[in-house]
Amino acid sequence: MAPMKGLTVFIADLRKCRSQEDEERRVNKELANIRTKFKENSLNGYNRKKYVCKLIYMSLLGHEVNIGHKEAVDLVNSTKFSEKQIGYLAASLLIPEGSELMRAVVSSLRRDLYDTNECIVCLALCAATNVATREIAESLTEDVVMLLLAPSGSPFVKKKAALCLLRLLRRFPESVKAQQWAARVIPYMGHRDVGVTLAVTSLVTALAQQQGDEMRKASTFAVRRLRSLVLDGERVADHVYYGVPAPWLQVKLLRLLQYFEPGEQRPELLGILRRIIDESQEAPRELQQMNAQYAVLFEAINLGIHVDVDQGLMHESALLLGRFITSRETNIRFLGLETMAHLAACIDSLEPIKRYQGVIVQSLRDRDVSVRRRALDLLYSMCDVTSAKAIVAELLRHMAIADATLREEMALKVAILTEKFATEYAWYVDVMMRLVSLAGDHMGDEVWHRIVQVILGNEELQLYACRIALQTLRAPVCHESALKVSAYVLGEFGHLIANAPGCAPLDQLKALQARLPAASLPARAVALTAVAKFTNLFPEIKNLCLRLLDRFRGALDAELQQRACEYYALATVESESLLPTVFEEMPPYPERQSALMSRLLSRETDTEDQRTWVVGGRDINRSRSTRKPAEEDSSAVGGKQETIQPTATSATAVAVEAAAPTSLDEPPAQTPEEQERVAKSRKHYARLLWESDGILYDGAEVQVGMMAQYKPPAARIGLFLGNKSAAAICDISIQAESSDKSGDLVIQQATDQDAVPDSLMPLGQARVFFDVRCHRVFPTAPTLRISYTLAGAPTVLELQLPVTAAHFMDPVTISVADFFARWKQLGESSIGESQAVLKTPFLASDADAVQWLRNVAGGMGFALIQGADAVPDNIVAVGIATTEAAGRFGCLMRVEPKPSHSLTRITIRATNPTLAKAVATNISMIFDAR
Amino acid sequence: IRFILVQNRQGKTRLEKWYSNYTEHERRRLKAEVHRTVASRDQKHQSNFVEFQNHRIVYRRYAGLFFCFCIDTNDNELSLLEAIHLFVEVLDAYHGNVCELDLVFNFYWVYAILDEMFLAGEIQETSKGVILARMDQLGALE
Repeated sequence: MAPMKGLTVFIADLRKCRSQEDEERRVNKELANIRTKFKENSLNGYNRKKYVCKLIYMSLLGHEVNIGHKEAVDLVNSTKFSEKQIGYLAASLLIPEGSELMRAVVSSLRRDLYDTNECIVCLALCAATNVATREIAESLTEDVVMLLLAPSGSPFVKKKAALCLLRLLRRFPESVKAQQWAARVIPYMGHRDVGVTLAVTSLVTALAQQQGDEMRKASTFAVRRLRSLVLDGERVADHVYYGVPAPWLQVKLLRLLQYFEPGEQRPELLGILRRIIDESQEAPRELQQMNAQYAVLFEAINLGIHVDVDQGLMHESALLLGRFITSRETNIRFLGLETMAHLAACIDSLEPIKRYQGVIVQSLRDRDVSVRRRALDLLYSMCDVTSAKAIVAELLRHMAIADATLREEMALKVAILTEKFATEYAWYVDVMMRLVSLAGDHMGDEVWHRIVQVILGNEELQLYACRIALQTLRAPVCHESALKVSAYVLGEFGHLIANAPGCAPLDQLKALQARLPAASLPARAVALTAVAKFTNLFPEIKNLCLRLLDRFRGALDAELQQRACEYYALATVESESLLPTVFEEMPPYPERQSALMSRLLSRETDTEDQRTWVVGGRDINRSRSTRKPAEEDSSAVGGKQETIQPTATSATAVAVEAAAPTSLDEPPAQTPEEQERVAKSRKHYARLLWESDGILYDGAEVQVGMMAQYKPPAARIGLFLGNKSAAAICDISIQAESSDKSGDLVIQQATDQDAVPDSLMPLGQARVFFDVRCHRVFPTAPTLRISYTLAGAPTVLELQLPVTAAHFMDPVTISVADFFARWKQLGESSIGESQAVLKTPFLASDADAVQWLRNVAGGMGFALIQGADAVPDNIVAVGIATTEAAGRFGCLMRVEPKPSHSLTRITIRATNPTLAKAVATNISMIFDAR
Repeated sequence: IRFILVQNRQGKTRLEKWYSNYTEHERRRLKAEVHRTVASRDQKHQSNFVEFQNHRIVYRRYAGLFFCFCIDTNDNELSLLEAIHLFVEVLDAYHGNVCELDLVFNFYWVYAILDEMFLAGEIQETSKGVILARMDQLGALE
């Protein structure tokens, strides 16, 4: 395309402009000129192109241009290539997406995609990619797929078609119907043209993240191509970059393979990786060559970590990385640290990495903030119980000199590590107090909130925390966040140290008061609350406290004034019980995911490309990789996840109460939320009385699923504990025991299984099996006790296990005559009859009611006897329970629904009264829960 | 790649290409922020990578021009750094020793070359020979 003189002159003019105003004037003049030209209608193609070019240039300079849209469309429709080219450029830069004219552009696109000149097809593909509106995704995807899959067609068209699909897929995944063509593009990864392979691999990588296993076949192509590039020395003449064959393609392929499980290709892959790693041992001379080679190398190590993290290969890589992190090239140090963090996130033993701890700590002082950040990530990832103290101490030391941008992240990470790896309470409190003092200005309120939460949740911490709080208040400098924590802690637990020398109530109040004048408003507010709490805790200084509150009644700040007035009023009311009630100790916080973790993770989620790992320790990455199966499991158990956030204590109490089958009377007054939980928990239990698997407990933090297999008199119960919170739970113990020591029911953990893991990451799941033997008929269900610690707060869940005598029942079929003979016999001997009249849990008109009743009877282990009763809807059923020591017991049941009264009479006669009662209880619970 | 920016030392943007959707306002802000982030860095002792919001910028300076690619944090930084170099080599070969003014006066060609090398935020073609031959072919068309 020949240069356009008018345009060149215009650009030169604009460049001469001395000031913004000059430029503005020149642009406005030109805009006016162009407007008149456009009105003349006699514009030829060249001039139109020239003027549109000028408009594009103006818009690139940042001026608002809202004319020329129609002319751009005219250019797009021109037959000349150069005019079309400018037309499409203008369309992508000037015409807004929602514009009516965009529709005209799309229809030109459709036509140009079928042009006989492949250059024009390419132009259209580029334009479609750059514009990528929903209309294009909806109406042109098929055509673009065709262009990619056509047996003939130039490599240029194929490359662009593949990437066009990629853009549309990313932007409108629901409009492109990827599943219809995804599998068909894979073979083009074997195209001999490197550009086509590269483009298709990019597309396949995006598809692999959306479609997962359907794209598995791609790994064969990727491995084959890699082998040919790396091992067989494929000649890619044009694509050799400074001696490295097609580095970009190698990188892409290595990355794609990280999205698949290696499977049987593992040995071959390891061979390729080994060659790549070996070849990079000798340092290349030229910068470009080194970069290209190392780009491949780092990606190879990343893949190696995915394929086989604990092989010798990775230990070698660790050595190599150890060399890189001391490299003179900053880029290499940066990537060495990052890749090492990846390794630390996945490798079993951190030893090969810990060797470099000193160097890594040094890197916190690197001249480049990017490198410092990577060092921080790596230290965070490689931290474990043994190295926590050293690493946290180093980080604290650097906090003071770290840049502001890094300090917040550093503070968050220190807080998380300290909480996670604390083995001594004193250490936790010390570190956190230092942390808020050091980095207080640079971190959000989350950190000090979290400290208070943890202290409130751990009784053992409180005494020590009080001592430190008082010390902190008396220190020469006290950061505002530290003041808040200290005030809060003393307000709650000040009485714990009140008898120690120098810590008397008066001393505490004085220490607090001394800080007030210099404190910020929010800190003063917290302090006022503490003072108000003192009025309750320490009657001996109540008057002093009141005087202080009184002073603040005239505070200028509305919040402070209101607090002071209210507290003052509360404390002066003549009532014995008011003060203690209002200023009672705070309950432990609801155990939720520490806000710190969410805050940290929120920094990493913003990417379309899924990461295969995150910065952090091994456990967090492990749980990421097991996340998928865990999700499937919980849905298999029939889980519906609801989100209620009760406090830890009430959750425990409610669970025990709710799951107990004996306490059917109304629970004492509860909040609606709790009532809902009770109802839900009861429902879960009842459901498991006649179904073999399902959810047993669904709380805010954990979910318990159950799966039962009965072979009377034995049974195997599988329990699944899922972590629903956003933090790891640890110290997990799952115990089950029968309700009495009679030995009628023996329940113990199965021996042929893996030990229950000690901790569970968010979304992780643990499984434990119990072997159950029914010795004799037993009256009450066994108890399940699950205990765990979430973020330092221990929780005990006590649940009733839905395993009752009635569960050890098999259906038996007997004739109608036999049934009534036995029925009569049992009725006369009156050994065991239980009868219940229950409110039918349906409307009279419900047609499914009878079927439901039958299902329940069948699910409980009864055989239904057909035609035994004159009323067709009545149910007559027989089961036989088996015990190990006491033999077998027959159990007969009649169910007589009376729709007119919406009542159902249930009569059970069994050769064992306890069994009859158990069946009756179960049925009434089932009815109740429906 | 989320976006490509070529800016001079004064922060004037000479080339911009957006592969993710940003509003006009966001773009303006991003351009300013990228300039502030990149230009303040020490060229000698610092890496070519810098954290930028939740992403990363890979950049390289050629004479007075900063070539910046904004990428996801898990992308391969070195391969993109070399992609920048390849892009510059292509521009160089096409214009014969490229300078800032060439980018200004021939902006529409720069965009055409860009579309041959990068598309949809991915690298499309990595052979200098192929790209240059293609540009000659397109240039010969009327």
